[in-house]
Amino acid sequence: MAYDDSDRPEGADGAPAPTAVKVLIAGGFGVGKTTMVGTVSEIAPLRTEEYLTVAGVGVDDVEGVAEKGTTTVAMDFGRITISPELVVYLFGTPGQERFWFMWDDLVHGCLGAVVLADTRRLQSSFGAVDFFESRGMPFVVGVNCFDGRQERTVPEVRVALDLDPGVPVLMGDLRQRSFSRDLLLALVEHLMAERDPVRVR
Amino acid sequence: MSHWADESLDDDPGDSFVRPYTITHGRTTSARDDLTLITVITTLAPADHRPPIRGLEPEHRLILEQCARPVALAEVAAALNLPVAVTKILVGDLIAWGGLSARPPLAVAVGHRPDMTLLQAVRDGLRRL
Repeated sequence: MAYDDSDRPEGADGAPAPTAVKVLIAGGFGVGKTTMVGTVSEIAPLRTEEYLTVAGVGVDDVEGVAEKGTTTVAMDFGRITISPELVVYLFGTPGQERFWFMWDDLVHGCLGAVVLADTRRLQSSFGAVDFFESRGMPFVVGVNCFDGRQERTVPEVRVALDLDPGVPVLMGDLRQRSFSRDLLLALVEHLMAERDPVRVR
Repeated sequence: MSHWADESLDDDPGDSFVRPYTITHGRTTSARDDLTLITVITTLAPADHRPPIRGLEPEHRLILEQCARPVALAEVAAALNLPVAVTKILVGDLIAWGGLSARPPLAVAVGHRPDMTLLQAVRDGLRRL
């Protein structure tokens, strides 16, 4: 059928549809996620909202009926067209990491993540680091240094965030497009360098 | 293109003039569970066998206009200022009707390195930025 998912569908104008992958941009509130999306995206960052169903907090436990609540999370995202066949979407994740575990769509088609950190409040990035580690999702860490001020060294950040030795850590100014690009490149190169999980006997 | 939500961009969706699930006639989940934020959707050329548009909301028509060029579901949601969950329901309707095609995101399994050709293409694309 014409709308079968299996083949490359063509639009009304005959243009074939690209496939998409995404990269998550995570980190605490105000750490520069939207700034990063904005500097490398080919479109002005867009905002959208997702409703997540969460198990009730403060559940009224009458007759064992678990109440469910809904929470709204907002995401800013952007787009980088790699080729007519491939588009990378960058999603700034909302800071409520405790909800991410119930949000399967977050990791669909996700190559990996960039965790942004601010040296004055590194703890605001703990949640994101924990989530990606627990999901086995590859990530790199970007430390935002406004105006080149570097208040911590890379080894200090590594210790403070309790990172595995293999996780790349980069420092720079997120308002510079080159730094945002370098973070994404570091993620892709990190992915390429990972050992293939399937060993050849 | 004006829209009911244009004047209430910053409002909580629950406070909007039209409640989001009114557009979906009260449905809160999509008939399809395979639509994701980055599923690329494309409007198909009109076909003779397609049943006439009836029962479609204005938002359905906006989606058909928006997807004349392939576009991710999240972009449609943002352009229409609709929550992703509502957009998925409307897009599901249009796929069932035969007006849209959907291309799922590239399968990237957690714990498995993505295809090397894909990674090289992304790296080369980023270097051109």
